[in-house]
Amino acid sequence: MQKRGKRRFNWQIFAMAMAGVLYLLVFNYIPMFGIAIAFKDLDYSMNIMKDLMEKPWVGMSNFIKFVTDAQFGSVMYNTLVLGILELVITFPIPIMFALLLNELRSQRFRKVVQTTTYFPYFISWVVFAGIVQMFVSSDGGFINDVLMRFHVINQPIPFLSQPGYFYPIIIISSVIKGTGWGSVVYVSAIAGVDQEIYEAAHIDGANRWKTALYVTIPCIMPTVMVMLLLAISGILGSGFDRIYMLQNPLNLVRSEVLDTYVYKVGIADRRYSYTTAVGLFRSVVAVVLLGSSNYIAKKKTGNGIF
Amino acid sequence: MRIKVGKNGGRGEKHLGKNNVWDWVIIALLAMFTLICLYPFWYVVVGSFNSGSDYLRGGVLFWPRVFSMENYRVVMVDSRLWIGFRVTIARTVITTICHLGFTSMVAYAMSRDDLPCRSGIYWYCMLTMFFGGGLIPFYLLLKTLRLLNSFWVYVIPGMFSVYNMIIISNYFRSIAGEIHESAVMDGASEFTIYSRLYLPLSKPVLATVTLWVGVGQWNSFFDAMVYTTDRNLQTLQLFLYKMIKTSEFTSTAEMGGLPSDLVSNISTTNVRYATIVVSTIPILFIYPFLQRFLAKGIMLGSLKG
Repeated sequence: MQKRGKRRFNWQIFAMAMAGVLYLLVFNYIPMFGIAIAFKDLDYSMNIMKDLMEKPWVGMSNFIKFVTDAQFGSVMYNTLVLGILELVITFPIPIMFALLLNELRSQRFRKVVQTTTYFPYFISWVVFAGIVQMFVSSDGGFINDVLMRFHVINQPIPFLSQPGYFYPIIIISSVIKGTGWGSVVYVSAIAGVDQEIYEAAHIDGANRWKTALYVTIPCIMPTVMVMLLLAISGILGSGFDRIYMLQNPLNLVRSEVLDTYVYKVGIADRRYSYTTAVGLFRSVVAVVLLGSSNYIAKKKTGNGIF
Repeated sequence: MRIKVGKNGGRGEKHLGKNNVWDWVIIALLAMFTLICLYPFWYVVVGSFNSGSDYLRGGVLFWPRVFSMENYRVVMVDSRLWIGFRVTIARTVITTICHLGFTSMVAYAMSRDDLPCRSGIYWYCMLTMFFGGGLIPFYLLLKTLRLLNSFWVYVIPGMFSVYNMIIISNYFRSIAGEIHESAVMDGASEFTIYSRLYLPLSKPVLATVTLWVGVGQWNSFFDAMVYTTDRNLQTLQLFLYKMIKTSEFTSTAEMGGLPSDLVSNISTTNVRYATIVVSTIPILFIYPFLQRFLAKGIMLGSLKG
């Protein structure tokens, strides 16, 4: 009886799952067919649905247009360099932060540090980048104000108008906004380490430095690997909001990234096919990056996300 | 110094004793970083309470030099701020509720082993996490569905997330199967079991997802900018963006209601500060809850979980 009941087609459960399947069909799978737009010439089209049916295929011409575009070099450069800087600087800092928090003796101080450093995460990038913008402004902003007061500089530096300062501003503000919250996952990973290992290390005479290096870090490595893989797959996603907020015509040469470029040529300039091609290029690169880094991680360490 | 042994999983013992040089280095490093995180916000608060004409002289760093409420008076008469608040609160509440209901229902189905074609549906969902059509096809879809320039563009596309579905589903799977079996014996339908038994048993994970979605909705900016043009659908973040970025200032019509000496005295920068402070106050109020719940639930967030 029990067995027969289990084998019967459970239509109630099936209907509940189908609701999700249908939703994804409409909002994720149907747009995937829209990729066809990238292989036709529908730029500036007035009636894109009709044109999509009627216009001829143009093969890879939209991709060739992107690769040969005057902006291709700088857009790819900025996207990649910012992505790599994020990986090298913004990614490891929360791990170090969690390790330092773990070394604190005073739980009360630890709580204060955590509560304060989590806060910027909950503020939108619009507000945070707005604060950054006014903080570095040449018109009485904090940085210039202080530098002038101590006679480090005589003239205010227009940080956001000089392309050379763009990467440092983005990276420093990301570190301030994300470090506290980014450390939470490592803090809980550290809390989950078996206490007996620490006791054994203590008995063996390991000092705190050695304990951190040979016990804590190896124990949180699986978590680090998962986070690293996710970070690598997101390397081309520069974070639209923060870049868009801080970019202006004067720093564009260093601040234009794929995400902002897609928005401008697609929505503002209405170059539908071209933009879809650029977007597709980005997705394919992201999938390849994730797939290959997952493969390497699995081979080398046995940890992956799939 | 108070040391709670239990909280840190028994680590307290190891940490008994006096601080040595390295402890002080660590404390100094962390204290410095904490101040760096805090100061920009303090700088904005101080600026918002300082008189605009005085502020231009510079050097207002730690405390208002000429205290004034004039910036707040200018902010308060800006109708766009209140429209922004209304839209943002509405979208945050409605989308979060819809998201939770819908996503957890699908998660329940996915958590059952007797779901037909379970692994097929699982991979069908997973694929969407790594690949999509991109901006233009999605924009055209919203256009076809007549969602552009409608309030529902904030709600319907945000109703479901595969990631959250998997997190909730994993939690459901950890609930003992006997509960389900005995409910079936009593003749309960699957939907009843889900809504009456599984949902109440899953408060921790639901609280976590609620806050993830809620914070995301509150801070979301891109959708309002791209999918709407209607002034009455402008979210708080979009208003702040325009206010900060394009020096689009309080309209003169609304400024007309203020005394003229006040209007001549204000500066754009300080009004921006005051706007930022006003828009951040709601977050400040719920922050203690956010912090506690989200930190607890973060481990649910790792896909390994």
